Amino acid sequence: MTRLSLIPLLPLVGFLINGLLGSRFPRWLVSLIACALPAASFALTACLFTGLLASGTPVSETYFSWAALSVLKVDVALYFDQISAVMCMVVTGVGTLIHIYSIGYMCHDESYSRYFAYLNLFLFFMLTLVLGKNMLILFAGWEGVGLASYLLIGYWFKDSEKTAAGMKAFVVNRVGDTGFILAAFLIWYFAKTLDFQMVNAYFAASPPSLLIMNTIGILMLIGACGKSAQIPLHVWLPDAMAGPTPVSALIHAATMVTAGVYLLSRANGVFLHAPLAMNVVAWGGCLTAFLGASMGLTQYNLKKVLAYSTMSQIGYMFMACGLGAYQSAMFHLYTHAFFKACLFLGAGAVLHALHGEEDMRNMGGLAKKIPFTFATFLLASLALCGVPPFAGFFSKDEILWNAWSASNGSPLMWAIGSITAGLTAFYMFRAIFMTFFGESNVPEHASHGIHEPPPSMSIVLGILAFSSIVAGLIGMPAPLREMFGVSAPFFNFLGQAFPAHAVEAEAGAHHMETLLMGVSVAVAFGGIFLSWLFYSRNREWAVKVKQNAGCVYEMIANGYYFDAFYYGIVVKTSDWISESVLGRTIEPAITDLTLVKSAEGAQSVSALFSWLQTGNVQAYVFYALLGLAMMLWMGVSNV
Amino acid sequence: MTGIFITLFSLLSVVFAGMVIAIRQPMRSALCLVAHMISLAAIYACLGAHVVAVFQVLIYVGAVMVFMVYTIMLLDDRDSSYRHVFSGMTMPAIAIVLVVGAALWMLLGQQPANFATAGPTLDGIFTFRSFSTEFMKQYWFHFELATVLLLIGIVAAWTAVKEGL
Amino acid sequence: MDRYQFLIALAGLIFSMGLLGVMIRRNLLVVMMCLEIMLNAVVLSFVTFAVRGQTLSGVAMTFFIYVAASCEIALAMAIVVLFVKRHGSLDLTPHQNLKG
Repeated sequence: MTRLSLIPLLPLVGFLINGLLGSRFPRWLVSLIACALPAASFALTACLFTGLLASGTPVSETYFSWAALSVLKVDVALYFDQISAVMCMVVTGVGTLIHIYSIGYMCHDESYSRYFAYLNLFLFFMLTLVLGKNMLILFAGWEGVGLASYLLIGYWFKDSEKTAAGMKAFVVNRVGDTGFILAAFLIWYFAKTLDFQMVNAYFAASPPSLLIMNTIGILMLIGACGKSAQIPLHVWLPDAMAGPTPVSALIHAATMVTAGVYLLSRANGVFLHAPLAMNVVAWGGCLTAFLGASMGLTQYNLKKVLAYSTMSQIGYMFMACGLGAYQSAMFHLYTHAFFKACLFLGAGAVLHALHGEEDMRNMGGLAKKIPFTFATFLLASLALCGVPPFAGFFSKDEILWNAWSASNGSPLMWAIGSITAGLTAFYMFRAIFMTFFGESNVPEHASHGIHEPPPSMSIVLGILAFSSIVAGLIGMPAPLREMFGVSAPFFNFLGQAFPAHAVEAEAGAHHMETLLMGVSVAVAFGGIFLSWLFYSRNREWAVKVKQNAGCVYEMIANGYYFDAFYYGIVVKTSDWISESVLGRTIEPAITDLTLVKSAEGAQSVSALFSWLQTGNVQAYVFYALLGLAMMLWMGVSNV
Repeated sequence: MTGIFITLFSLLSVVFAGMVIAIRQPMRSALCLVAHMISLAAIYACLGAHVVAVFQVLIYVGAVMVFMVYTIMLLDDRDSSYRHVFSGMTMPAIAIVLVVGAALWMLLGQQPANFATAGPTLDGIFTFRSFSTEFMKQYWFHFELATVLLLIGIVAAWTAVKEGL
Repeated sequence: MDRYQFLIALAGLIFSMGLLGVMIRRNLLVVMMCLEIMLNAVVLSFVTFAVRGQTLSGVAMTFFIYVAASCEIALAMAIVVLFVKRHGSLDLTPHQNLKG
């Protein structure tokens, strides 16, 4: 039965066809191939999903043995359990929608087929990552999505800034991959296998020492940080906004950056026995959430605001993973995919209307001109800010409750998370007020013909906005479940995959939880109100605060000097090593030793031999006689 | 008797060959070569191969050596090879030839000496009459090819000199 | 050794002397003559074997050797003449155009 393998292979076929032949096809054919194949993957995933829902047993398919050494056996195998089912549905579903959106967004681009080829390639790798049964298949997908991200960020390769952004993304991902590989080595050393189920079972049965487990956990965290743009490897995400907006929506909001969360969930058996690593994950996530939100306050580029918002929300997911609440992390991942993709696509619609203008200071007053875009953007923002009954409220609240109540959570963590939620509301509505309200600062050349996006784009926006509203209703928290008498199918479904971290079904009073829920709602509305004050009513307050804040503002606006630090220390040091040490000292010595000396040796030997070639025939006869004499002498002495 | 003659004429041929190598003037070398060839012809006659002896004198001495003498006469031989007779590798060449000679001597030294015995009867097939009939019977085709070769040689020599290749 | 072995040894000796002459002498014509010495040694060995084995083919071979020698000398003299025209002397030692 090869139905599982079709899920990643269908987009791969799309990549091959569009990549190799697409430039000769008419546009409608390219779009049809590029969108139909992911849609087929989605249909297949939905079939398998309903099957899994009914039966509850994961589907596993092994295709062939890739390496069968005496110490390591690795098969190419795909595994469809509840975690990968959720991820696959998100990836193929949101992916197909973004493909459809791209038809409208990229319709003026000259290498149309290349774009869709790369997008399908990305889907192939992401699905391989999500469906992989062992760490090597996951890593193949991991590397592949990094490659697809590089190709798509630097899609408009004629601009050297964009290609530099693509390189930065790839290189920072590589740093994270080192952590992943080292973790894989350690895991293999102890468990002698790389299959996730067997690894989790091994560590559950006989974990090695605490130090080893913590080391494995932290190394895996480094890998996840690189892919998911967490501190300290977050520096590539804002620059990645150089790519086309649907790419930012798909890769840097909904799917690739969530690969780190997926990895941590898959390897939950490792983290179960590494409490220090879990603490690091939780506090790292918390810190990233806060710092990302603070950096989003100072940005004037609309897409960069959304990028920092993504970084912050994934910080929440990491925090949940670190607290052991994997279902909450996956739930937030699922809702975040919808509203963040909707936000990015809405930003794309704004850019499309303004012919590429990204700076919010040059926008304003767009609500009347593009009302549908504004409506979807507003709905998605409300979901992000955590306003009930939108999707983000349920998922974020679940995480904050776990921050308060879990065994390695603390009120401090909850407080930082809540402040971050307030900051989230503040900067999102700052963006809305600057973009859609107020007087129009749109420059002359862009202000003609501001129009709604074409149907391929607006239908997708509508679908995603609708999902942002209703997606949360399948995972309501415990007190509301009792209040409304419904169950939480999402958590029940996922709970089968996390037997060790079951969501406790405590009955009775949920006073603390309800109280905290109320606080989060208040914080969200407070943030919205504050941003209305600063950016709609009294704009001068914002300017005054910025002037008074001075160097603090500078520090936040420069990204807490992470980029400057990396450039000044890491990049400059490796440049110095490459040039002065390796380039001027070691490499000439090696070249001299191996190449020059051997060439000179060969030359001197051949100079010796060329002495024999006198050009004199008699000398040549002499050489022949010499050979004859030797042969005769040997014959005579051996006769 | 034949044995003594063969010994004598072989000694002569060696002496004359040595003189060919050693004498400075090319004309005198040519004459020594003629003497060498005639002594070889004498050996053939002693062996009973009269046909070969006659051919040796007629063709080799009578045609080839005459041609060579003509060329020596035509070309000026008092040049640098007259003043410096031997080339640079005389010593090594002599050494190597001595080595070869020693090897041959040792090879032959393995065999027991039995000089005097003659072979089978010497008369018979190597007289002119029997040789020519047998030769034309068996090798007439090769003979014709040889004449073609000679013709080609003549044409080639004439072309080479005429066009100054 | 009987007379035939002696004659074969003699042929070898004469051949070596011819080869020595090719290597030693500087005059082109004398080198040609030493080549003829070598050919004669070969003819001697052919005749010796033919007489010893009482076969005709050895003597027929000598006949063809004579034919070849005649052709060769004709062409060789032509080449010598051209050589002298080109270099102005019969000396072989300065003629080293192919010197590596």
